[in-house]
Amino acid sequence: MQLSIEPNNGIPIYEQLVRQIKYAVAEGILVPGQVIPSVRDMAKQLTVNPNTVQRAYFQLQNEEVLQSLRGRGVAVCEGAKKQCVVDRQQLLAERLAAVLDEAIRGGLDEDRLRSMFEKGLKNAIQTGDKQS
Amino acid sequence: MSEVISVNNVSKRFGRKTVLDKVCMNVPSGVVFALLGENGAGKSTLIRSMLGYIKLNSGSISVCGMDPLKQPLELRRRVGYVSDAPSLYEWMTVSQAGWYVSGFYPEGFLKSYGERIHEFQLPHDTKIRDLSKGMRAKVALSLAMSFDPELLILDEPTSGLDPLVRRSFLESMIDRAAAGQTVFLSSHQIHEVERVADWVAILHQGQLQIVAPLEDLKNSVTMLDLSLRDPLLALPNEMEQVQVLHQTQTGRTLHMMVRGFTPVIENALSNHSNLFEIKAIRPNLEELYIGFTQPFESDQASGSKGPSSKKPNQSEVA
Repeated sequence: MQLSIEPNNGIPIYEQLVRQIKYAVAEGILVPGQVIPSVRDMAKQLTVNPNTVQRAYFQLQNEEVLQSLRGRGVAVCEGAKKQCVVDRQQLLAERLAAVLDEAIRGGLDEDRLRSMFEKGLKNAIQTGDKQS
Repeated sequence: MSEVISVNNVSKRFGRKTVLDKVCMNVPSGVVFALLGENGAGKSTLIRSMLGYIKLNSGSISVCGMDPLKQPLELRRRVGYVSDAPSLYEWMTVSQAGWYVSGFYPEGFLKSYGERIHEFQLPHDTKIRDLSKGMRAKVALSLAMSFDPELLILDEPTSGLDPLVRRSFLESMIDRAAAGQTVFLSSHQIHEVERVADWVAILHQGQLQIVAPLEDLKNSVTMLDLSLRDPLLALPNEMEQVQVLHQTQTGRTLHMMVRGFTPVIENALSNHSNLFEIKAIRPNLEELYIGFTQPFESDQASGSKGPSSKKPNQSEVA
């Protein structure tokens, strides 16, 4: 699992960690039952404050993505994948909404925007087909 | 949370120059605390007075419940310190330096030192004088950490070090913090501090601008970009509720750093006829640092009470 933290992109570091772990579960990079690095190891690996990692893990435990196994560390919950897929869609929807908001404030009309979207979607599907 | 370091109203003058001006702050236990400030802001003076190297003109400092001037020995048994230019005996080898220092500390020092030397991949029998700057820094850090101090004080620990050494320094600090120990560091490597610090303090020309948990600081401050239709008109009344820390103006865009900006105010502003665009974002540490250490560049801000507005004329002196 490759995580990367960007401290000054406006999103709190713990939130970046939460999102990236959820994405990894949603994509199946992390599978239910898999043990992830301890707070200390994760903090060292990312060179971020351990309290920040603790906070992210705590939130993920509250959302039942992670669970702590006594004596073995922290692992991905059974059934976490479904939730993570939903959360990822939610995050994507938010980003899309932000882009749409910017476009409308920038003065693009509906038809222009729709044609841009259709074109972008077509391109994305084509490149996706080539890769798979 | 108890305080590990408590600085009360500390002032220090060198001749006529005031280096520390009524500095007050408390460092809670178990955090990574970063002291930021430009060269000459007084960071090293503050750190050195925490260790009893400097006699203060007024005020008091307590470190781990001790007075650094009255209990210097006991303090050194409990506090690890790495200065910005560590002084080591040049003619000793890496192992000898550890053996020499171990005489001042309880048993277990040498074993722990050996582990760190191994971890940092330092050569045992090379003389200190033949080591590179990064290796010397690693030796100094190993010496400061090997007696498991409850507080580790680092004065610009990563300045002048290559990325790999820097990274292993940061890892060591994180390890200390994960073990519940307190780490106090001064730095102007803002990006590093942003990753590792829980608390930050900003020192500017001997005066403390702010002491706060980093997360709270970021949450309480907002960067605003206001696009004005007419830059000469006064801002809406709602803006009087916020505290302006810093502002600059380019053409019709007013760039502000404010505290206490709420969605209610944002809503009120968005209906104002003189503003046609409002962008509000959370600042990063670098922007906060600049906001707290730079004066107002626009004369429109004369009515507000930001900390940097107190002395608008002295800011060029670094």
